[in-house]
Amino acid sequence: MMEEMREAARALYHPLVRKWKEAGKTVIGYPCTFVPEEIIHAAGMLPYRMRGIGTTSLSIGDTYFGPVICSLPKCMLQLAGEHAYGFLDGVIITNGCDSMRRLNECWRKAGEDIPGILPGYFHYFGVPHKAASYSYEWYEEEIRELIKSLEEHFGVKVTEKALRKSIRLYNESRRLLQKLDDLRSGTEARMTGEDALTVILAGSAMPREEYTALLKTLLKDLKKALPIDKGRKRLMLVGSSNDDPEFVRLIEDSGALVVADSLCFGSRSYEDLTNEEGDPVASLSRRYLNQCRCPRMFGCYQDRLSLILDKAEKARVDGVILQNIRFCDLHGSENGIFERDLEARGIPCMRMEREYGPLVETGRIRMRIDAFLERIA
Amino acid sequence: MKRETREYRFDWMIWSILHHAAMSTGGTRKEYERLLDLVPHFRDVLDSFIRHGEPGRLFLKLIAEYAGMCITARERGKKVALTTFCMATPLLFAFDVVPIMLEAWTVLGTIVLRRGTAEYLDYCSEVGFTETSCSAQRGALGALLAGLAVRPGFIVCDSPGICDTNANSFSFTSAYLDIPFFQLDYPPSIMDERATGYQKKDFRELIVFLEAHTGTTLDENTLREVLDEVRLQDGLASELIDLMRLKPSPVPGLFDIMLYGGRFMMNGKKIYTELLRSMLRTAQANAAAGISGTTSKRERARGLFCYIDHYTTDARFWKWMDEQDISHLGSILFTFWHSDAPYARERPGEAYHIDSSSMEAMVDTLAAQMSRMPMIKQIRGPYDAPGMWLDDLLGAVRLLKPDFVAYIGSMGCRNSWGVNKLLARDLEREGVPAVILFADAFDDRVQSWESVIDKMDEFLQLRRIGI
Repeated sequence: MMEEMREAARALYHPLVRKWKEAGKTVIGYPCTFVPEEIIHAAGMLPYRMRGIGTTSLSIGDTYFGPVICSLPKCMLQLAGEHAYGFLDGVIITNGCDSMRRLNECWRKAGEDIPGILPGYFHYFGVPHKAASYSYEWYEEEIRELIKSLEEHFGVKVTEKALRKSIRLYNESRRLLQKLDDLRSGTEARMTGEDALTVILAGSAMPREEYTALLKTLLKDLKKALPIDKGRKRLMLVGSSNDDPEFVRLIEDSGALVVADSLCFGSRSYEDLTNEEGDPVASLSRRYLNQCRCPRMFGCYQDRLSLILDKAEKARVDGVILQNIRFCDLHGSENGIFERDLEARGIPCMRMEREYGPLVETGRIRMRIDAFLERIA
Repeated sequence: MKRETREYRFDWMIWSILHHAAMSTGGTRKEYERLLDLVPHFRDVLDSFIRHGEPGRLFLKLIAEYAGMCITARERGKKVALTTFCMATPLLFAFDVVPIMLEAWTVLGTIVLRRGTAEYLDYCSEVGFTETSCSAQRGALGALLAGLAVRPGFIVCDSPGICDTNANSFSFTSAYLDIPFFQLDYPPSIMDERATGYQKKDFRELIVFLEAHTGTTLDENTLREVLDEVRLQDGLASELIDLMRLKPSPVPGLFDIMLYGGRFMMNGKKIYTELLRSMLRTAQANAAAGISGTTSKRERARGLFCYIDHYTTDARFWKWMDEQDISHLGSILFTFWHSDAPYARERPGEAYHIDSSSMEAMVDTLAAQMSRMPMIKQIRGPYDAPGMWLDDLLGAVRLLKPDFVAYIGSMGCRNSWGVNKLLARDLEREGVPAVILFADAFDDRVQSWESVIDKMDEFLQLRRIGI
């Protein structure tokens, strides 16, 4: 079961996606947690969170984007340009951040130069940066436009019944992931941070029904598993996109255990549930826009600090690693204030800026982690 | 930050220089020339403005007044808001709030101080703000975070949805200094009813926020007075831009920063109207004589800047343009989208109209004005969407007929660096030579000024522009 999860987390076009495509079904890519997966699922399609894994060059990414841009969207564009995302029938781009929103233009323009890399369905989904009554309304309208465009382009129907069913299913899997968090961060941790990230990543790229079934089995097995935290420092990993389990393994190989996170590809995707009553579109708007875990939601620092403090206390962490991808000023700057405020409360922190992609900086990162673990020993 | 830098307040230091600069022509020419010897690090920038006669003197007076208004605000019992250049001032002035504009203060520091704002830029990193963030804010922000500038009572910004790095500096400051924060958040489109409705609602929330933090309500008569002044200023600015269409352009290059800098700081204040009138008189006289606004009175080439200008040390960017006999046709900062602006005449649906017939109409006017500020209008959505960056730029190209378009920005600008190569390619396809300069407009340490002009020279030679 973990092997299936690993396969889904390690490769873009993994066996479960292949099976889905062979059944003649549609896959829709999206780059950010602010896109409501439930809509895509309710349309009978596979919501697939795009990543930049496996890139060995940025020849295409660097051609269209400028030099001072986050390497995650560059890697995504590189993969698209190499036809690695050829299995996507459609893509939804959002203004998660400025680097990511420019993927819209860069991909479209690259598509004019490299035939066949632009999916037939390419949709822009505008997400407000604040949670106010009118921004919820805006987000609702964006969802309704998304539904309409999916229906028109693919000749499908997103019924209210299907949407309610999708919401229930996603809530169920999110509850299971929350339970997984309990096992991971409890007094006796039963799962490595590397495996936890693998499980979360798998969920962003495989059919939700199968994923939920796998999660149930995994949870049963984990309850019987032996604790693995003895003698290891308990750390929390915070910051911008990390979809690389090997990065977590690098931390854990130094004698630590990542027992909690607040990461873009991590727990942020399942900490909130959608209200299953009332208008489903309105409920989704509340769920997605209310999550203030990403610093793209400006002016909510205190909420994010509280969340991290609660989580750190619950997971009894010995320290926090605050990481960000270079040129991610939103996470990078906020990490600076987190460091000040967490250290003031006696929680040791280490800030780390890194590049997205294959771990070319292994030596530097390991040395810094070793030094941090020595500090908190 | 060095200890000696901490000994002087950033804002008072700049005000002091500007205040005395503004008074420097009060005496005889001989006295002025002697004075220049006493200010070796500031003489070039001072002389750049003074050489332009009345408009230059008025501009110095305007920025000295603005700086003075900021540094004395608290003593005068005024409320102080930290804000950004793309937040239009009329609403704040109607509330009698003093707007401390980070970018304006960064530019003042960059132009006026001997070492620019390097130490303040770096201080931001010392306290946790990323070094990759935009230098337009970091220059003055460093001083504020170090306690070397007036502490604002609240923060209002309008860059969310437009520019993350800009919005993030205000969000960071709010969290770091624990200051109340309000953001105007913009959707990715501008002309549709849905976006307009969103902006109006958000703008009314801003008014509620300002009322709560100033303890006052918006006064209809005061607001009308401010808007009447804005209407006047819009008309004068339009005439000036119309004159730029002439070949040669009779508008001196330095009027570029005077037009938008004056507007950012004093839109709705009488001193800006006075400045515009004076600039217009000079440009009209040049036009009547059929001469260029350059010192040599010749125009070798016409340059349009598709984003911002280059601000470091001594206003030398404008000086270089002038020495090269290149007419400066403005930048993105030049466009405010009032209905009678030359660039808006063929696209009335994208412009704002001033309606001061009622309180509601005035608030809607201000919401529309704010949503069309430079960068707010063009950068909110895909660069090639209707009414966005490419459209506006091509409109300016058709109107002003530049010989080239150049990009200068800051290394923190994810938005423009995300698409500027695409933009340059589109311009070239339209037959306009375009160059991207890898400089940081506020920080010479990224690329030296000498490298910038080398690159420009190379570009002009290679493309045979003005040769």
